[in-house]
Amino acid sequence: MSRYWRFVVPAMIVLAVVVFLIFQLSSNLVFFNTPTELVESPPGTDARLRLGGQVAAGTVVTEDGGVRFLVTDGRRSVPVVHRGAPQQLFAEGRGVVVEGTYDGSVFHSDSMLVRHDEQYRVEDVEDGVYVNPGSQP
Amino acid sequence: MNASGHRMGGASWLDRAALAAVAGALALAFLTPPEATQGNVARLFYLHVPSVSVAYMAFALALVASVGYLVSRRMAFDHLAVAAAEVGVVFTGFTILAGMIWAKPTWGVYWTWSARLTLTAIMLFVYIGYLALRRAIEDPQARARRAAIYGIVSVVQIPVVHFSVVWWRDIHQLGTVANPTGIQMDGILLVAFFAGLVAFTLVAAALVTRRYALAVLEAGVHDAAARGAGALAGDAVEAPRIGARAGEEHG
Repeated sequence: MSRYWRFVVPAMIVLAVVVFLIFQLSSNLVFFNTPTELVESPPGTDARLRLGGQVAAGTVVTEDGGVRFLVTDGRRSVPVVHRGAPQQLFAEGRGVVVEGTYDGSVFHSDSMLVRHDEQYRVEDVEDGVYVNPGSQP
Repeated sequence: MNASGHRMGGASWLDRAALAAVAGALALAFLTPPEATQGNVARLFYLHVPSVSVAYMAFALALVASVGYLVSRRMAFDHLAVAAAEVGVVFTGFTILAGMIWAKPTWGVYWTWSARLTLTAIMLFVYIGYLALRRAIEDPQARARRAAIYGIVSVVQIPVVHFSVVWWRDIHQLGTVANPTGIQMDGILLVAFFAGLVAFTLVAAALVTRRYALAVLEAGVHDAAARGAGALAGDAVEAPRIGARAGEEHG
């Protein structure tokens, strides 16, 4: 019986720690905030954080030294001013995670990650030639 | 030496099957069309996902072997546990490497501290810790017992790693094949994935088999050394016979 408890007690402790981590630290384990979270509970203007969502269609404007666009989660959207070259896969409709500060109306980003979804599809074939990757809307 | 029916020198049928499967999977990985959004870089899927699947399987096998040891106290289970855990570490490392190579051209960075990535790195180090623990314990029975407990407890993290992308928003996308709403991959690409999964599974099985045979040999060497410890010292070390030799020289 003592051998049994010597195993079960540490196992229970480890399990308790894991459960604690999952439920108590969940808010710190998310990689980015959504536009809805940002708009409905804005953080301090000098707090550095990540914003993630989709690049809204028709909102991408390239300008000197960067790009501006709207990031949306379907409910709310936040205008982003990004300084620096956008990533290779950056495009309208794609997922994006930008890092920077939110001044209450505009998100100022200096770091961008592009997300891709979990779908893997074959490209359309035209005359036996595959359409250039990433050229689809 | 023929440990567990596996010659250490030659190639077994399993080795040959693994090699053939690797050749077939490589051919399919390059012959299938490029992916619509990511192009050719998405071919890393056929390495990255089978690799982590095999790592999970290896750690699950280490769990089964660890339980088997604690129940039966047969050393064969301990040999299987170390073989599986070691192979799991190799494939976890390979998963992270392939993922980093993939992340740079798609996300834009090799590494970022998201939950999925961080938890996978922790999984790697926890199992490296398992191997380190084994190295630190001399007595085979004590080593097998403590390693078995470690091997059972450490499995708790695997579902956390796997479901981290479901539980918390992550830079890493959801599972494609293990997706709650169905497989998110076109048929021809899926063929290349399953070919990769078969190849990785066979390679891992071949590695586990060899590592198991090696563990059996290691245990044999240890046992022989332990049995012969007293006699060996007596046989190998000759008592100095200075007086006798001196007598011969002068005689």
